[in-house]
Amino acid sequence: MAQRSFLEVRFGGSGGQGVILMGVILAMAAARDHRYVVQTQSYGPEARGGYSRSDVIISDSQIDYPELQGIDLLVVLSQAAADHYVGLLRATGVFVFDAERVASPPRFRGPSYGVPFVRLAVEETGREQVANVLTLGAVVALTGVVSAQSLRQAVADVVPKGTEEWNERALSRGLALRAEEWLRSNA
Amino acid sequence: MERWHYHALQEAIDSSTLLVQGNRACALGALDAGVRFFAGYPITPSSEIMETMAYELPRVGGVFLQMEDEIASICACIGAALTGTLAMTATSGPGFSLMQEAIGYATMVEAPLVIVNVMRVGPSTGRPTAPSQGDVMQARWGTHGDHPAVVLAASNVADMYRLTMAAVRFAQRFRTPAILLADEVVGHMRESFSTELIGRYRLTSGDFDFTPSYVHPEMVREVHPPHVLGSKTHPHVTGLMHDETGFPTDDPAKSDQFLRQLHDKIGNHRDELCLYDVKNEGKGRVCIVAYGSCARSARAALRLAEQEGLPVEVLHLYTLFPLPVEIIQEVARRVEFMLVPELNLGQYAREIRKMAENWTTVISMGKVDGTLLTPREIVDRVAELIGKYESV
Amino acid sequence: MSERLAIEELLHAEHLPHLWCPGCGIGMVTGAFLRAVLALGLRREETVVVGGIGCSSRAVGYIDVGTVHAIHGRALAFATGIKMARPEFTVVVITGDGDGAAIGGNHLIHACRRNIDLTCILFNNRVYGMTGGQLSPTMEAGRRASTAPYGQTEPAFDLCELARAAGATFVARGIAAEVRALEKMIRQGIEHRGFSFIEALVPCPTEYGRRNPPAGAVDMLLSDKARAVSVSEAAAMSQQELQGKIVTGILHHDSDKSEFQAGYAELVARVQGNRGTLGGN
Repeated sequence: MAQRSFLEVRFGGSGGQGVILMGVILAMAAARDHRYVVQTQSYGPEARGGYSRSDVIISDSQIDYPELQGIDLLVVLSQAAADHYVGLLRATGVFVFDAERVASPPRFRGPSYGVPFVRLAVEETGREQVANVLTLGAVVALTGVVSAQSLRQAVADVVPKGTEEWNERALSRGLALRAEEWLRSNA
Repeated sequence: MERWHYHALQEAIDSSTLLVQGNRACALGALDAGVRFFAGYPITPSSEIMETMAYELPRVGGVFLQMEDEIASICACIGAALTGTLAMTATSGPGFSLMQEAIGYATMVEAPLVIVNVMRVGPSTGRPTAPSQGDVMQARWGTHGDHPAVVLAASNVADMYRLTMAAVRFAQRFRTPAILLADEVVGHMRESFSTELIGRYRLTSGDFDFTPSYVHPEMVREVHPPHVLGSKTHPHVTGLMHDETGFPTDDPAKSDQFLRQLHDKIGNHRDELCLYDVKNEGKGRVCIVAYGSCARSARAALRLAEQEGLPVEVLHLYTLFPLPVEIIQEVARRVEFMLVPELNLGQYAREIRKMAENWTTVISMGKVDGTLLTPREIVDRVAELIGKYESV
Repeated sequence: MSERLAIEELLHAEHLPHLWCPGCGIGMVTGAFLRAVLALGLRREETVVVGGIGCSSRAVGYIDVGTVHAIHGRALAFATGIKMARPEFTVVVITGDGDGAAIGGNHLIHACRRNIDLTCILFNNRVYGMTGGQLSPTMEAGRRASTAPYGQTEPAFDLCELARAAGATFVARGIAAEVRALEKMIRQGIEHRGFSFIEALVPCPTEYGRRNPPAGAVDMLLSDKARAVSVSEAAAMSQQELQGKIVTGILHHDSDKSEFQAGYAELVARVQGNRGTLGGN
């Protein structure tokens, strides 16, 4: 995916899962890779629960229209988000989901990958909150949408003080995800 | 000034690119333009402007106040402005409504002031996190009585920075409140933002003189002498109709002269105040006239139209008021249609129609569902217009 | 220079005579304020008086210091901006019971809460004079107004109690009939570092007196005077005995509470001093 000159990415989940921040971190990493980027979001009034989505457009030229017109890479952490957004995935797109939070993955004809991101985050660090960073690491390892180095820097730039260590462990775990850990379907 | 460069670069990617949120860029632009007083009240989707000011202003010795409501916020800003301090407030629709009376006061007493309105879908509480351009005519006519207005519209993160600066400059130069409108999506989006832009749009010291009683030499005949609190003249400032002494008058001739002067100091300077950009100039049968987020849709539509062989040009307006009469009429003379996509039901299209209908057909394309107008929707409408024209 | 001559220096003679009615108490209290300014030796360039809208607020048009005739109810918000932008100024707000306690009530309680160094002189004539005698939030139940032709049914605000409860650190009440005492309260209020609230009860024979006995200006002044008891007298009286009385004098004075502008200046010093070690945002 790294070679594509125009890429539309959506992260979806429920409030409190750090979905907005996933988009922000990816956008920061893409900017570090010297690419044009726009990040937008949509969320309900609840700080926890409700719905939440974060979109990132990465391009080699100036981005005019700031919202997604289709999805090239969809990453979801809840069943509702998966059901809601999968229809916007382009035929050439990639679908990544939390294999436990999305118990019945919707059908998608392109490559789909399920990983129990939240469980892995808890196993690795004891903290569910870093699942978003672990997921980002895994997505970057899988797709190369941004460079791992830029991702590391972006994570370091945004994570709150006192949580650096857990986030670093979560990121490394995600980046180093082994092929056999991906539950792959429809390939 | 360099200090601000440093803060802007906190989110830097490399020496020339940053990822900055629109609302944050607005605050940084204000600080770079010399704003040292901010009073506000939290409201979605503008709060990040206030939060950035709360963090940054004390660091440069400026004043940040969270007031009890939006009325108090703008009134505190006017109080500061009357002492010669550059002041700004930021809000969204409900708060903007509360500020209207005070905007008229600032206009009447010629207090330089910047008001940012990050627009949500309205009326009333509406949809606080969905984009809209529903407050365009409120920005023009929200306060009562005959008054001039300076209203700018931002379309991206860089605009949030440079148009905030422009608003400060206009407010100070024309001694009037200046309003910056942003659609929610522009305030909340994060975007790569070139620091070269900062350099390019940073106002040189020659543009500004922060002496409270300063009047730009070219404006001496057009603005009333400023009455600055704390100066030797210990002036009187009133929202009552007054003459150049600052004291109330009921004299019809003086009253007439005063109001006309308020209008003329803006209307006579459209060449400086009206900021715009034309893409594909002179090559369109249809001109898409757009501002704010719709201008981005229009630019994307232009690319799509080119691919599909449709002759389109785009007029992107950064200044909505004073009305950019000259460029609208210039374009109107050469195109068959002016298509005006807006996130409202044709508020600005009506203004364009008044200016352009002698020469061209103005078509309003409004959308109020809280989503953006897509490039496809615009191009389809263009194709329809041209097709219709051809079949006539 | 005699006091009288010196006071004339503080007035815009060219804008006199003033617009207040014969018998109005606003001029008396404005005079007390001017004498206080004189006694304190305030510099005109650094003294700002902000008024809202209404009869009392019009005083700002006659006083020759920096003056702002603001919009209805918002004088305290304007004054907050002025004081924060120029902390060295002495900023006084002249407001009325309608301007300060009805439309501007929210700003009043928050100015009290902040304890910002402003002096608010609220001229309480218990009626809307300028607009034609409508009821005000300080009008006592049973009184009549052009919008209460059958009598006021709402209870009246005790504005000094409100100010004290909201956090003002200098609270005083005086009556026009005892104008020298008011002058002293205003002087102390301006000297006090913090939010000073001074309620001055003034007669409005034109709009209040004509609907509510006693009618004439002198009788109205005497009526307030007859009801007035000092803070020390009140301390020895029962609640029942205090019914219908006007307690005058300094009701509350706290010099220890932190003042808002000074607190903000400390914050700025702290932030600038620690610039290198502050976290990001």
